[in-house]
Amino acid sequence: MSISEYNGSAIVAMAGKDCVALATDTRFGISFKTVSTDFDRVYKMGPRIYMGMAGLVTDMYTVSARLRFRLNLYELRENRPVAPRVFFSMITNLLYERRFGSYFSAPVVAALDPVNGKPLIAAYDCIGDLEVVNDFFADGTSTEQLLGICETLWKPNMDSEELYEVISQCLLNAQDSDALAGWGAQVYIIEKDKVTKKTLKARLD
Amino acid sequence: MSRRYDSRTTMFSPEGRLYQVEYAMEAIGNAGTCLGILASDGIVLACEKRITNKLLDEIFETEKLYRLSADMVCSVAGITSDANILVNELRHIAQRYQLQYQEPMPCEQLVSQLCDIKQTYTQFGGKRPFGVSLLYAGWDPHYGLQLYQSDPSGNFSGWKATCIGANNAQAMSTLESEFKEGITLEDAVPLAIKIMHKIMDQNKLTAEKLELATVTRSDDKTKMTIIPREKLEKLISEREKLAAAEKQK
Repeated sequence: MSISEYNGSAIVAMAGKDCVALATDTRFGISFKTVSTDFDRVYKMGPRIYMGMAGLVTDMYTVSARLRFRLNLYELRENRPVAPRVFFSMITNLLYERRFGSYFSAPVVAALDPVNGKPLIAAYDCIGDLEVVNDFFADGTSTEQLLGICETLWKPNMDSEELYEVISQCLLNAQDSDALAGWGAQVYIIEKDKVTKKTLKARLD
Repeated sequence: MSRRYDSRTTMFSPEGRLYQVEYAMEAIGNAGTCLGILASDGIVLACEKRITNKLLDEIFETEKLYRLSADMVCSVAGITSDANILVNELRHIAQRYQLQYQEPMPCEQLVSQLCDIKQTYTQFGGKRPFGVSLLYAGWDPHYGLQLYQSDPSGNFSGWKATCIGANNAQAMSTLESEFKEGITLEDAVPLAIKIMHKIMDQNKLTAEKLELATVTRSDDKTKMTIIPREKLEKLISEREKLAAAEKQK
């Protein structure tokens, strides 16, 4: 298996109508050995900015800590929370600095634009190629399974209830076909006035 | 007066003094006052604003108060441009510690590391020292709420109440008599206003000339609250009424 499949992960972000959802699995493994079944992959980087990280876990820790460093200094200097698009650029910059010796972890960011409340999903590769998508994005070891089921189930302008159902079904069913991801799921539904976190029970194998 | 020893910051005079450091402290003695009081449930920082031209555009939230990290704030007295450099450095020091240890930096260590940098300007290089004194107010899980003061020499110490800038000696003597152990924030804020009112005797104390912030802990978070102008005006007028009443007695 390649280095970015070493720990296993499944992450999906989906946009709805004025809401966005981010779902991740909760398995942490060392190759085929499962070490933790309640592993947290999501980082809150702003009041409506949530970042999930796929790939090698040690790089996930390092990238998120380095990002936190830059983000804290930004917010101290500018005296305001960071805007989503600026944060997206910050990630690109950090990852591209390691263009020829990259981190083996890539983020998936789900955010709500503070000005117009529209959903924003930022998709990256491990060297910082940023694409802002307006439907869904998946990363990790279950990418193929996730993309297949998302294409089928996703439709535009879903409200938060339906979005939650759709993203949960996509993740749970996709990770069942993946040996390296699963053992539970965490779903964050981000809306203008609140953020809800739900923990789902999945197949424990 | 051994003037020939003045220009080299890194040389002692025959009397064993570092003139450049002392001259830096002179500069601060003419700058806007900063007062800090460590109460049992919070820290109050009161600062005199010197730049109050009505043509000034209000871009910054505060002139003399700066957030350094999630758990520490500071106020500065002296040359503002020097202060900006030091505040920037303090913010970076705190973040580097957080990155390395994944834990917020303890207050004393942050003060100490900056003071080590300030000290090098009194011993090496031929550069002048920074003309800034700082008051640091912060919280850490090891020692709770703390108040520190540092000066251009690179010396620092922890205080229960202290003052830097213009008229600081007068403020300190008042604090020595009026500060009581176990004072709460509710009493510390009016005390700070009282002292600022006293030392800014010639120039009347108004809400535009004052910046006041409190540092408190609640819900496992450190909060720096900048007191809004209306509240300041109320506190100042209460103080003036009390002062007038005392005069009549």
